Amino acid sequence: MNLIVCMKQVPSSNEVRMDPKTKTIIRDAKSAVLNPFDRSALEVAVQLKEQLGGHITALSMGIADTARLLEEAISCGADEAMLLSDRAFAGADTLATSYALSLGVKEIGNYHLILCGKMAVDGDTAQIGPELAETLGIPHITDVTQIVFASEKELIVSRKTDGGRQLVQVTLPALLTVVKEIAQPRLPSISSILRANKTPCTIRNAQNLSADTSRTGLAGSPTQVVKTFTPPPKKAGVRLSTEPAQAAREIAALFEEVK
Amino acid sequence: MEQIIPYSEQFSVYLKDESRTVGHAQSISFPKSESDVIAQLSDCSRQNIPVTIQGARTGLAAAAVPFGGHILNLSMMKQVLALRQENGQFFLTVEPGLTLLECNQMLSNRRLATAAFSAASLAALDEMEGKSYFFAPDPTETTCTIGGMAACNASGARSFLYGPTRNHITALRVVLANGETLSLRRGQAVARHRKLHLTTEQGTNYALSLPQYRMPNTKNASGYYIKDNLDAIDLFLGSDGTLGVITALELKLTLLPASIFGISFFFAAEETALRFADTVRHQMPGLASVEYFDEAALSLLRRQKETGTAFSALPAIAKEDLCCVYLELHSDTPEENMEKMKRLGQWMEYCGGDQSRTWVARNESDLSLLHFFRHAVPESANQIIDERKKQYPLITKLGADMSVPDDRLFDVVHLYRTTLASAQLESATWGHLGNNHLHVNILPRNEDDYRAGKALYLQWAKAVSAMGGAVSAEHGVGKIKAPFLSLMYGPDAIEEMRQLKLTLDPQSILGNGNLFPSARKETWK
Amino acid sequence: MISIDSALCRGCGLCVKACAQQALSIENKKALCKESCTLCGICIDACPFGALSFPQKDKAKDLSAYRGIWVVAQCLEGKLLPVSLELVGKARQLADEKHVLLSAVLLSAPSEALAQELIFAGADQVLLLSTAPSQMEEEEELAFRLLAREIAQRKPEIVLFGATLFGRSIAPRLAAHLQTGLTADCTELSIDPQQGLLLQTRPAFGGNLMATIATASARPQMATVRSGIFPLPPKDLSRIGQQVLLPALPKKKTKLHILESHRETGCASIASAPLLVVAGKGIGTKKNMKLVHQFAQLSGAQVGVSRPLVEAGWADYSQQVGQTGFTVRPKLLLSLGVSGAIQHLAGIMGAETIIAVNTDPDAPIFQAADYCIEADCMAVLEELIQIYKI
Repeated sequence: MNLIVCMKQVPSSNEVRMDPKTKTIIRDAKSAVLNPFDRSALEVAVQLKEQLGGHITALSMGIADTARLLEEAISCGADEAMLLSDRAFAGADTLATSYALSLGVKEIGNYHLILCGKMAVDGDTAQIGPELAETLGIPHITDVTQIVFASEKELIVSRKTDGGRQLVQVTLPALLTVVKEIAQPRLPSISSILRANKTPCTIRNAQNLSADTSRTGLAGSPTQVVKTFTPPPKKAGVRLSTEPAQAAREIAALFEEVK
Repeated sequence: MEQIIPYSEQFSVYLKDESRTVGHAQSISFPKSESDVIAQLSDCSRQNIPVTIQGARTGLAAAAVPFGGHILNLSMMKQVLALRQENGQFFLTVEPGLTLLECNQMLSNRRLATAAFSAASLAALDEMEGKSYFFAPDPTETTCTIGGMAACNASGARSFLYGPTRNHITALRVVLANGETLSLRRGQAVARHRKLHLTTEQGTNYALSLPQYRMPNTKNASGYYIKDNLDAIDLFLGSDGTLGVITALELKLTLLPASIFGISFFFAAEETALRFADTVRHQMPGLASVEYFDEAALSLLRRQKETGTAFSALPAIAKEDLCCVYLELHSDTPEENMEKMKRLGQWMEYCGGDQSRTWVARNESDLSLLHFFRHAVPESANQIIDERKKQYPLITKLGADMSVPDDRLFDVVHLYRTTLASAQLESATWGHLGNNHLHVNILPRNEDDYRAGKALYLQWAKAVSAMGGAVSAEHGVGKIKAPFLSLMYGPDAIEEMRQLKLTLDPQSILGNGNLFPSARKETWK
Repeated sequence: MISIDSALCRGCGLCVKACAQQALSIENKKALCKESCTLCGICIDACPFGALSFPQKDKAKDLSAYRGIWVVAQCLEGKLLPVSLELVGKARQLADEKHVLLSAVLLSAPSEALAQELIFAGADQVLLLSTAPSQMEEEEELAFRLLAREIAQRKPEIVLFGATLFGRSIAPRLAAHLQTGLTADCTELSIDPQQGLLLQTRPAFGGNLMATIATASARPQMATVRSGIFPLPPKDLSRIGQQVLLPALPKKKTKLHILESHRETGCASIASAPLLVVAGKGIGTKKNMKLVHQFAQLSGAQVGVSRPLVEAGWADYSQQVGQTGFTVRPKLLLSLGVSGAIQHLAGIMGAETIIAVNTDPDAPIFQAADYCIEADCMAVLEELIQIYKI
């Protein structure tokens, strides 16, 4: 089974903190990491490959530095990696990103299944999976919690729905977005890291992919940020005692009022 | 002033600690400042009431469990008092009730509580800009208080590189039993051979005769820290709350390493694992910790992963992996750590291992997964005991905390293995292999096992002392290990310790039952 | 990348300090923006000289054929989801401002009663299928084909979805199909008074900032909104509206088959709990979750947690409160050791009363709380348990 796993580089800590004194962002030495949801998606791919044989390609769009993280994906079980990197891709919203990724998928070619994390922890939009599937014209299933049956022709998966869960059968090729809990990603070993060091990441730019640059990056993004702001503080709350026993009594009184 | 409150049922949590020993008390107070401590201690002193000093009660040796008298709980004293910079080093002064977690969280996002800061401290804070510091000692339980860490000279996995708590404390304020205060700074009050002179801020002079014993040449938290030309600070650090109440500590901060790798090395045999660890610990610079998990410890985790939802996030351990050595590498650059990793892989193969049987954590979330793995072991052992306790209420986990000198590592492991096998006891072993300091935990299946385990424990304490080791390497002696301290140093040394204590605390009101049986003539009613 | 007006830039470097992506630098005394820029906009606010701005694109083509606002109304077991009605209520305001029709698209088997409910909530017309399978409400593919066909024909200017699992699956697929923009999880929607664009506001950038997003160059403008963000509109029985029957969807061979569907309830019990205790990283250790549960049991509250606790494995996702977890609207919410990232605050906005306990006086949670207690949450919790035990 030939698998493509879409992976995104995200900041390692989602909590970007403001320095209360200088009102600037506290920059820590923590570097970027692979989106944890995408690591679960990779683990699913590795398990499918163990079961059915095949080939795994990790695919990402991002700045040149992302190659380092794709190397990590190789150390965690991908066979190779492709990075789409070009100034023309910068500033992309989800629509422009899914267009670029679709070109990457076509460049890799000959695939049975695309796996994505349900969402990325930095943007939380959860849009890339379905948008990429539509751009490629293949079916998609979101919020997959378990692969029940797999072959190169079809999959049966269990997914979360608003009402509970569904068992869905899909003819391949298709795209799945997976929840983080679907699989515990394995850690790389020393030997897999050494192997990854020797496996160069394929880098493609807009020209390599014959991209229509009116559909990539900022130019291809229908949504645009028009304003950012710090949310206004609500009216100041009532300060209660800082002494635990007294504070507890006051909380208990508030609980009683509601009952 | 904060008042002394008569003991009532609502304070029952303050009668126990993580050793699950339950004591009793007649009163309790929660001082908020040093002056509260002085007033309350003077009060108790006048009435000759014994006082047990408490922090977060996370200790494993019952040092904070009161056996009668008053509980002086310092958990409300958690101010950050000052920050100082000297030759590019930073020093943070805190009150004893601040927890390690709070302290390191504040440092990691540079949001120190600056309410008590002077202009000089604020200026020092500005100089910290752009760098990340931490307080290096790392006992597994991070909700412990800094005061508690000082009282038992806590260490942890990373003490292989950074050493125990005492290496990171440069000044102390101490209130003595009579309410007088000492201000101690490293290098300023030093013994001549075994004679130490101390003068309180109120002008009282103390001439202390330090005991004559020699401490073992190992990681050690057993009894008073004594050596020739001792620094007075070191006497109070690790004194288990028997000499005075620490009311402020100056911590030497450590620059957070730019790159941390955590690597679990799995082996098919214990001997291979030990050989590997013994080789690398002497030859690889920058190893922050050298930890071990034996077959039984890994089995505990496998079982947990299958059954417990809380532990389902644990990575799966392959069947053929029987034991594990965990190394943590602290370096200035990731490249340096990569080089070290490669070398470690070669050593592993050289020792008969397979470098594909490793887990490498190179970022924060993977590291926290391996730390979770580490923490899950003792938690799993506790769960098993709690389960068995339902049927046999008398049993507890019997956890050894003994260390031996480097050249006795293989001997002590051999001792543990043969005696456990012949006594047919269930056990799980993990801990600080780098310091020859394994936590061998006997898991009694019934009360007979429990009794046999206790006997075995005593046998180990004797053997470890004979090897030149320590009966408590990091948990402190407290009340639980007091009998072993006597085994380790002999009755004469214990008497010397007791005399030393009586010089500073003539009525023996502080920390009764810790280190040695109470020095009080009569027990307080 | 951010546009830099070099005439205004003085090279002061404040933007470099403000940027978390390290995308800005000062070269030749002027700011320079690199590719790693994510267009978060923090630097725009940081610049005292107004030298930075979002890049402008070519103005849109003629989009005037698009008119009206649509709300996609989702059902479960024959009932409208609350979020659909909430959206109709909000969309009513938007439609009044723009003087356009508000339509609801009912994704269910045809139902007079449900259509009427949407009209009472504020819809001017309800679009529904004349014949539809009973499992329509679960069939994403049918919903997608219906919406794709009708949007192409009727050209609404704005289409709003509930940010349910269903909505978050079909809305992006439609956006790609229609080649338009979609903004997920909006916490505020308004109409730009000048150009009449839909202004979609959502937390961005790790939750320290709110971003307002517009889709200027494509139609329809699409957004999803979580349940509980907007209030339920009052039921106005005097409202009248039109029901428009849509032609049935032609049969089509499909690659997706739902083999089984299972109801699982209770997974969102925190969403409707009247009393809620929410724990954050400030509780210190996983062990302390036991005490949180103990207090919840004693006081009859449900337990929610902030996102870091779910990530750390201390609690299940079904307990996560916040924008990516569950939006809650309890009468009383006790927040213990939660610092209060914007996504979290967005999820608790609907609470009537919030009590927050945190040691950090600067914790953002205090800005959302009605009662603030600056203390160690575990000390307070232990005391609370004592009170309830007596």
